[in-house]
Amino acid sequence: MKPTAFDYHAPATTAEAVSLLAQHGDGAKVLAGGQSLVPLLALRLTSFDHLIDLGGISELQGIDASNGSVRIGAMTTQAAIERSVEVASALPLLARATPFIGHFQIRNRGTIGGSLAHADPAAEYPAVALTLDAELEIVSPQGTRTVPASQFFTGLWSTELEEDNVLTAVKLPRWSGRCGFAIEEFARRHGDFAIAGATVAVELDGDDHVRRCHIGLLGLGATPERATEAEAALMNAHVDAVDAGEIGRLAMEPLESVPSDLHGSADYRRRVGAAVVERAWRTASKEARGAA
Amino acid sequence: MQREVEMTVNGTARRNTIEPRLTLADFLRERCGLTGTHLGCEHGVCGACTVLLDGEAVRSCLVFAVQADGREVTTIEGLSAPDGGLSQVQEAFRENHGLQCGFCTPGFVVSVTALLRDNPHPSDEQIRAGLSGNLCRCTGYQGIIAAVRAASDAEH
Amino acid sequence: MSGAARYTGTRVQRIEDPRLLQGYGTFVDDIVRPGMLHVCFVRSPIARARLGAIDASAALALPGVHAVLTAADINPGVYEQWYSMMGKDVPDTPRPPLAVGEVRFVGDPVALVVADNRYLAEDAADLVVVDYDPLPPVVDYVTAQESDALVHDAYAANVAGSLGAAVSDELASVFASAAHHVQVPIYQQAYAPVPMETRGMVAEWVGDELTVWAATQAPHEVRMFLARLLGIGEHQIRAIMRDTGGGFGQKVVPMREEMCIGLAAMKLRACLKWIEDRRENLVAAGMSRHEHGDAQFAFDADGRIVGAHIDHVQDVGAYPTPWPVGTAAAVGMLFPGPYRVPAAGWRTTSVFSNTSGRSAYRGPWQFESVAREVLLDIAARRMAIDPVELRRRNLLRRDEFPCSNANGMPYSDVTPTETFEQALSILDYEQFRKEQEQARAAGRYLGVGTCTYLEPTTAAMPYYGTEGATIRVEPSGKVNVYLAGGSTGNSLETAAVQLTADALGVDIADVRTIQGDTAVTPFGGGTGGSRSGSMIAGAVGETAAIIRERIVSIAAEMMEAAVDDIELAGSRAFVRGSPTDTVSLADIADVAYFQPFKRPAGLPAGLEASARYQAQSMMLWANATHVCTCEVDITTGAVTLLRYIVSEDCGPMINPTVVEGQIAGGTVQGIGGVLFEHLAYDDDGNPLTTTFMDYLLPTATDVPAIEYGHVETPAPGPGGFKGVGEGGAIGAPPAVINAVADALSSFGVEITRLPLTPARIVDLIESAQK
Repeated sequence: MKPTAFDYHAPATTAEAVSLLAQHGDGAKVLAGGQSLVPLLALRLTSFDHLIDLGGISELQGIDASNGSVRIGAMTTQAAIERSVEVASALPLLARATPFIGHFQIRNRGTIGGSLAHADPAAEYPAVALTLDAELEIVSPQGTRTVPASQFFTGLWSTELEEDNVLTAVKLPRWSGRCGFAIEEFARRHGDFAIAGATVAVELDGDDHVRRCHIGLLGLGATPERATEAEAALMNAHVDAVDAGEIGRLAMEPLESVPSDLHGSADYRRRVGAAVVERAWRTASKEARGAA
Repeated sequence: MQREVEMTVNGTARRNTIEPRLTLADFLRERCGLTGTHLGCEHGVCGACTVLLDGEAVRSCLVFAVQADGREVTTIEGLSAPDGGLSQVQEAFRENHGLQCGFCTPGFVVSVTALLRDNPHPSDEQIRAGLSGNLCRCTGYQGIIAAVRAASDAEH
Repeated sequence: MSGAARYTGTRVQRIEDPRLLQGYGTFVDDIVRPGMLHVCFVRSPIARARLGAIDASAALALPGVHAVLTAADINPGVYEQWYSMMGKDVPDTPRPPLAVGEVRFVGDPVALVVADNRYLAEDAADLVVVDYDPLPPVVDYVTAQESDALVHDAYAANVAGSLGAAVSDELASVFASAAHHVQVPIYQQAYAPVPMETRGMVAEWVGDELTVWAATQAPHEVRMFLARLLGIGEHQIRAIMRDTGGGFGQKVVPMREEMCIGLAAMKLRACLKWIEDRRENLVAAGMSRHEHGDAQFAFDADGRIVGAHIDHVQDVGAYPTPWPVGTAAAVGMLFPGPYRVPAAGWRTTSVFSNTSGRSAYRGPWQFESVAREVLLDIAARRMAIDPVELRRRNLLRRDEFPCSNANGMPYSDVTPTETFEQALSILDYEQFRKEQEQARAAGRYLGVGTCTYLEPTTAAMPYYGTEGATIRVEPSGKVNVYLAGGSTGNSLETAAVQLTADALGVDIADVRTIQGDTAVTPFGGGTGGSRSGSMIAGAVGETAAIIRERIVSIAAEMMEAAVDDIELAGSRAFVRGSPTDTVSLADIADVAYFQPFKRPAGLPAGLEASARYQAQSMMLWANATHVCTCEVDITTGAVTLLRYIVSEDCGPMINPTVVEGQIAGGTVQGIGGVLFEHLAYDDDGNPLTTTFMDYLLPTATDVPAIEYGHVETPAPGPGGFKGVGEGGAIGAPPAVINAVADALSSFGVEITRLPLTPARIVDLIESAQK
């Protein structure tokens, strides 16, 4: 299983990368970690005349946790995020989601930018970005723009990125106060794509009422989803008054494109989806409760 | 389009002119004659092709050789002890029947070497999770798990 | 005269390991030959179609492409095509090298591209234009007999063959009059051996000789098969295997692609390398296990079995390899298993479909254990008898052997009851039932399942019935033992060295083995049917005896002692009772080779002999019990295996570590087959699981620690050794299925269809709850 031939470019700057993409149009593709793209090339499910490798662009690397938001360069590897003390403290949800990504050999090469741009609905990072209302920085020949996660994922494996765009960084807001974070995922085997998963971030006030709760869903649609109805039901609710099972059910109700395949029907995925939401809610709310 | 690449493989400089689509795995096997790195799937799941790229365990079937230009690669052949004998990890595999046909073995040895270097005393759960990215069809993983435990215990 | 066992029976570390651990193994893709070219197959993307014109012009125009061959080019080159293990007289199914007339499954090889490297060959394959005229495919073997479409014109109703009979009138009346009659249709999905190394071959034609490096379990069959195929002498072919990365039955015989490579190499007078990629392996290397059976047991009021029958139907795909009909008879014959079954019957029908052909897989008949053991648990629950108790009432006891089962299978030297009780005691069955009850009260669902089976190993059918060895004590006293081998991970080098060292009283470090080269090693059938341990022991034993006699004679002459007083140990000869009287094997060899006047009169020169062992028993029976406990998450359907216990009896063990490794590997393949693996097709015959992203193999996080108990009942035969390679894959699936069913028994769930994916388990629970 060998890929078709391509020309290889290793630009040193983002501007150079963008220019190459603009020059070669749909014949060119960004190469980030390669953990998703290269299998597709090897299987000849796709092919490009030009690969633009972002691996040599140092300005795309790095984790900056110096502000209220954490800015992570798109080419930062999942392994670097996994090791990062700053991420562990500032973005617990991202830190906890990372070990679910494949296997450590995958994470040594896979990047946050690649994961977001590939936009697999069953992947962890897109769901986390959506849950935390991340902002994605994109550079094009026209300049730089910022797109909120809620607008970034447009369909199955599709995003706001145009052919000549490079995703350069993602900014994830810190949550402060009495917070709890959890990811629950059900997969066939350790490291497989989720059949259904939930990412929960919750903040409680001093009396254990929900000040805000964000619930992200993976594997349950063509894109990652936010369970907005479940979130609405949780607003201002007292933690003890929450029926976790009901939250799970509410999270599933509005979903319209739950996948159905060899691993399970849509109904099965809803059943599992409700369970992972319930479990993630329990874990996150317990942590928030215990927080000072 | 051909490109010239130069990388260090097991401490030796290797220079070659290659097509960009040549995978690092094929570069090692065909251009360097290092056939210990095996192709079990060529789509990044089985782990038989695992090598160290700048010290990190990666699937060499998912890296193009041109991406390793200027980098350091360590293959299974580069893990033997300085006197040509077995490394501690290799010895642990041998003592615990961690291999049968040997096809997946280089990938496991490289992965385990990296794992234990970064986490010298993994829990049972961490061992299994750490091994989950390498597939074996002969051993049922029993000997492999025992080998990792033995190798980590030996570090004491 | 046999040697004292110093190494045999001990956990000798493997001699294969150093090279494999350091990456110096030689697998077929590691072979590089001068002028070697690379092959890629063009394969049908459609399950069934009339095969029209093949336009290779664009492919041939690519620089670096040497040839594109089609059926017209190579198929006429076939002289004879049949497998030695089957013989030439079986009514074999079609096996053309390249597709001709019709393509019959997605992946059917249509053309063969030869290029400078595999990258180019794949580029060229993409450019070959093939005209397909689609035909309605027969995708589901279950309904294939009623289909209007025929996979092969010559086979009416898509039946490749049938043996046995439906329930006889006699048996029917046993069933009708029984206190309990349990009849269950049991279905097993298609899955496959999936060795980590795919298939592959290098074939080099020079002058009038062919040299083949193969990923194979039987180098001698590669030679014989290709000689017949190409119409050349067996002595014009050399087949070599050094390291093969797993076989499990998939590499037991050369298949259509290997036929193509041999034909193409001869036609082009070239050296060709073909290495299958993983997608090809999952799509075209063959499938196994796809079958169902209408299984019936009848019991008296006390739960004692009074009769059994299985009506077995198996999917053989479009191009099975080898002939599948006869091997399926084992399913029927073995269905009664290790139980007291006074009356039984069986029928088996092999049915074609437009899917990948059936190939052998570890314990190819294992469906007999799946059907029987799953049915026994279902029957137990329906009769309100504990499944373990039901087995205790029916398992054959030691004092009942030897006996023939109701189908005429002659059981002997087996210990089903002993392994059953040992495995349960390792688990502490009573304690588990208590834990299970407590867990259920707490809303958790634990279960326990067992499987007890017998398996015929070391079958002495003609092709497998002998094994040869050559042993040379070299002039310096080092020992080489030459065997056909065929190891694909089964540690035959270590076994050979252990056995030889013991037979000649030699230090193990002084013995090496050369295997798998038809120019050098004596004929042997290769690995398969769990034969190698016993057969190699026999071959080494016969051959070593000749040499040992000479060693002892020379030593006696050298030390002026009686032949009967000579002992061999540690690469030396000693005079019994006189420890300072000793000569080294090196000294003895020197005499044997170079000093004729010091040899006893009439003794031949040298220390080299060849002999061939003939198996005396039709088969050597082995048996085991697998016990599995699990927890089922009833919300997601996830199954977690808790404990896994195997009590096995393969007789005395050549190397206990190797035995346990074989059991572990087979067991995890069996676990994979129940919970994870599925070679699935859609309704149009398109394969859905063509990569490791979709075909799921168990990983280290999916398997429990396996605990072993050993019972040792010698078989008649050298060392009393029995085969052990296949058992894990036979015993595991039923144990796992039964454990899950037991966990869900409070829902009234009966499991009769595989695989047991989490989604299916949820379906079963939801259906039972309605």
